[in-house]
Amino acid sequence: MAVAAAGRGGRMRRLIGRDPIGYAFIAPYVIFLAALFAYPLLLALYISFFDYFFAAPGAEVERPFVGLRNYAQILGDPVFQRAILNVVEFIIINVPLTVVLSLVLASALNAKLPFRAFFRTSYYIPYVTASVAVIGVWLWLFSGTGLLNSLLSPIAPKPSWLVNEFWAMPVIALTVTWKQLGFYVLIYLAALQNIPKELYEAAEVDGAGVVRRFLAITVAEVRPATTLVVILATIVGANLFTEPYLLTGGGGPNGASMSPVLLMYRQGIEQGHAGYAAAIGAVLAIGVMVISAINRFVLERE
Amino acid sequence: MSRTGLRLVSIATALVLVLAACTSGGSGAPAGSAASAKGPIKIWYSNNKEEVAWAKAVLAAWNKDHADQQVTGEEIPAGKTSEEVIGASITAGNTPCLIFNTAPAAVPQFQKQGGLVALDDFADGASYIKERTGDRADQYKFTDGKFYQMPWKTNPVMIFYNKTVFTKAGIPTDSPPLKTYDEFLATAKTLVAKGGVQAAIWPSPTSEFFQPWFDFYPLFIAQSGGKQLVEGGEPQFTSPDGLAVANFWKALYDAKLAPNEPYPKDSFGDQKAAMAIVGPWAIAVYGGKVEWGAVPVPTKDGKDAKEIHTFSDEKSIGMYTSCKNRGTAWEFLKFATSKDSDGQLLTLTGQMPMRTDVVGAYPDYFQKNPEYQQFADAASRTVEVPIVPNSVEMWQTFRTSYSESVIFGKKPIDQAFKEAADKIKTLVSGS
Amino acid sequence: MASSVATERASSEVSRREPAAPISLGRVAGLAVLTLGAVVFLFPFYYMVVGALQREPKTDISGAFPNPANLTLANFADINAQVDLVRTLINSGIFTGGVLLATFVIGMLAGYALAQLDFRGRNVVFNAMLLILVLPFQLFMIPLYVLIVRTYGLADNYLGMILPFAVNATAVFIFRQFFLQLPRELFESARIDGASEFMILRRIAIPLARPAIITALIVTFIGPWNEFLWPFLITKQHDLQPLAVALANYISTVAARAANPFGSILAGAVVLAIPAVIVFVVFQRQFIESNLGSGVKG
Repeated sequence: MAVAAAGRGGRMRRLIGRDPIGYAFIAPYVIFLAALFAYPLLLALYISFFDYFFAAPGAEVERPFVGLRNYAQILGDPVFQRAILNVVEFIIINVPLTVVLSLVLASALNAKLPFRAFFRTSYYIPYVTASVAVIGVWLWLFSGTGLLNSLLSPIAPKPSWLVNEFWAMPVIALTVTWKQLGFYVLIYLAALQNIPKELYEAAEVDGAGVVRRFLAITVAEVRPATTLVVILATIVGANLFTEPYLLTGGGGPNGASMSPVLLMYRQGIEQGHAGYAAAIGAVLAIGVMVISAINRFVLERE
Repeated sequence: MSRTGLRLVSIATALVLVLAACTSGGSGAPAGSAASAKGPIKIWYSNNKEEVAWAKAVLAAWNKDHADQQVTGEEIPAGKTSEEVIGASITAGNTPCLIFNTAPAAVPQFQKQGGLVALDDFADGASYIKERTGDRADQYKFTDGKFYQMPWKTNPVMIFYNKTVFTKAGIPTDSPPLKTYDEFLATAKTLVAKGGVQAAIWPSPTSEFFQPWFDFYPLFIAQSGGKQLVEGGEPQFTSPDGLAVANFWKALYDAKLAPNEPYPKDSFGDQKAAMAIVGPWAIAVYGGKVEWGAVPVPTKDGKDAKEIHTFSDEKSIGMYTSCKNRGTAWEFLKFATSKDSDGQLLTLTGQMPMRTDVVGAYPDYFQKNPEYQQFADAASRTVEVPIVPNSVEMWQTFRTSYSESVIFGKKPIDQAFKEAADKIKTLVSGS
Repeated sequence: MASSVATERASSEVSRREPAAPISLGRVAGLAVLTLGAVVFLFPFYYMVVGALQREPKTDISGAFPNPANLTLANFADINAQVDLVRTLINSGIFTGGVLLATFVIGMLAGYALAQLDFRGRNVVFNAMLLILVLPFQLFMIPLYVLIVRTYGLADNYLGMILPFAVNATAVFIFRQFFLQLPRELFESARIDGASEFMILRRIAIPLARPAIITALIVTFIGPWNEFLWPFLITKQHDLQPLAVALANYISTVAARAANPFGSILAGAVVLAIPAVIVFVVFQRQFIESNLGSGVKG
């Protein structure tokens, strides 16, 4: 069979690759993407160059072409700049914390502990509960008269956490880390299943301690999963919407917890400037792609 | 990108351009024929319990007599998400003929999208509206002088106070000292000190565009004798009246009588705040829980109650361009706002129909429910949001500067207001 | 298939027969830290459940340790009166089930192809998928709505609800990453033996990637289960709405009228969360430590 495969015309192979059956496998997904996302995606790109808004079918409306004006306005808008800074701050806090915590937790939960199922479930639960339900609890925890302030009374920040320009974003970062951790623990748990036990046994025989075994084997073997976690966490950070919207009532004091997607929602859906919102989306996407590319480059170095 | 990839993208782009062109140009049904067409129609109404009951009653009455023009109804929630739903529906072309909870602030946007029918198109359109609502109807015209909405019901905003808490703090409850700003502040201090509440009053300090309607705007309307935020294209809130209102609220925030953090539920119902600034729809909510009383919003020097204007918190009915049988829609609209239907609305929900002389029209109701009478009286002096282009963005701009200067004290008020006024002037000029 | 199952069973039996690890200070400390962490993570959920069971809401600390006399199931009855819990749960099930099916079938094929099959245009598809993953849903919402309602005519329809979520891009990404971890040699031997690619996927790749599949499915479950904006846009008829939508509606308008609004909202939230927890508890057992190494080296 191998001989026959190699015998297929060299040019044919270069044109379509070694496994053209891949086309059959990928076809349903491509059709799905084309039928559902191609139009919205390209439309979004298109309207970002116009003073565009959505109108009723058959309505005669003016939507002048404005070239790069939307983009220029966005990049010069202090609210947007603050939103980007907020997302960067979020990512700096959230991503390393997430990677470390979820890997450590996953390793711990992978071991033969008593009550394993209980522990795994408890770390997973925040991920499962709808944001709307948990927000009430977090508001109670972090409000001026809430639990945290009563415990920390003398050193509690004034104004209190969620309305504090300095603390609003870190509180959101912590909330989201807590909420999403279960998801990343799952990914690492699955990755850990594929590490052969022999590696650990060999290292133990060689005299390596727990920490050394963890760093040398675990961390190294789950590298593809780490890339996945970093990229996904970055994407979640860039697309932050629900928490700023619900926890800080639409952007916090002076936009201290405004996020780009919240801005996009406000501009696009509340105020009807769809073209402007699309431009925000484009800028955001470019930013995330760049960061993801950097991440992949750093992490997937052979 | 590879050559194939490039080719794919260019085909796709061409496709999108064609699709976009198709959806933006084209023609709808000619207005003339739709205006008189009759047949079955669909409507949307709010999902709050009392309004659902009202809607079902009115629908049943109409459908009984109009077998060939049946009206079916569906619920949508009131609240910020309803604007999203309506906006998306307009774009998709599947809005119902009538939507019974169209917010006036959203009307300019829906009109810009080409989603609303001008009721003036009907022979008796403008005259019916003016006859029913009187002079207040003029506030609901768009800048081109047409009615893109029918003013339906109002919830005049007043100050509700908790009689139990007031008594505990030693403040008289029949005619509580809440008329002037000074009185109000003094009362507020006493309430927090002795009344066992966390806040004297707790309007939401969050930065959504509609929040000013429940803190700044009602007091501004009262203090200025009925001015809107913007009139004739000119912002009005930088006047001495506007600054007085802003400074009053700032005093409350500075003295921590109103918290600058949101309360996740209802602060008045949970007895965390002694007062609330809200309309009569709240009576159904507070009725059992709190011993309440209501007074008009305060003014600087204490105007007479009969002269105080307030915010209307009104909801209108819109007719949408996707409607085929506009003849029926118009007839039904008149039916749903007839004296009988309005009376039912009053009885079932306690909200005031936008009718002239509500008290005179329904004497029995007000005899049985005297506590609603002050609301009916206030309803004759309500002021609306300005129906101008970019109205949502206008309110958002205002809220941001109010939040910065009044709630969080980061900027002096006159500076913040002036900057907002400059931006708003450009916004409402339609550019 | 039979051989790999036997291998798994053998290896898990082997691990069970191993003696339990000795009780050391390190282990106890580790357990203590884990427990503390679990308490922190569980606390908001615990508070939610407690709140759902209380007759009178208590918003201070005492609310966390309720008086047994204050406990009641009335909040659940309340919310059931407003929101048909059974019907909406079924709708949530149909919505989520449809998404799971599409993701498993279409996404698995795609993930495998992206990882292990070499064909021209592979990178284009991967980058397109990344792009979809990166962009927020708010950007697509209105054009997608127009597309589905006008062009495809699927308003008020389960298919209209399911379609945008049908193949979860995160799941495809997960499938790809994990299939990438499997060495090519594993499949070469089967290919040489004449197995079709499809059989290779079914018989070899899928059983090996089981933990990844479970992860992807659990992850895919959460999205549509908790989603309230899209189904809300697409369906106006109440008997089609999933629980998350009904709950969101309830919170925004009707809740204030209930005897204990906070309690009934939490009751609804608990009902929404429970199936997701059950799904997880059932499937997390699948993370058996399997001895993959021996499968390759042997």
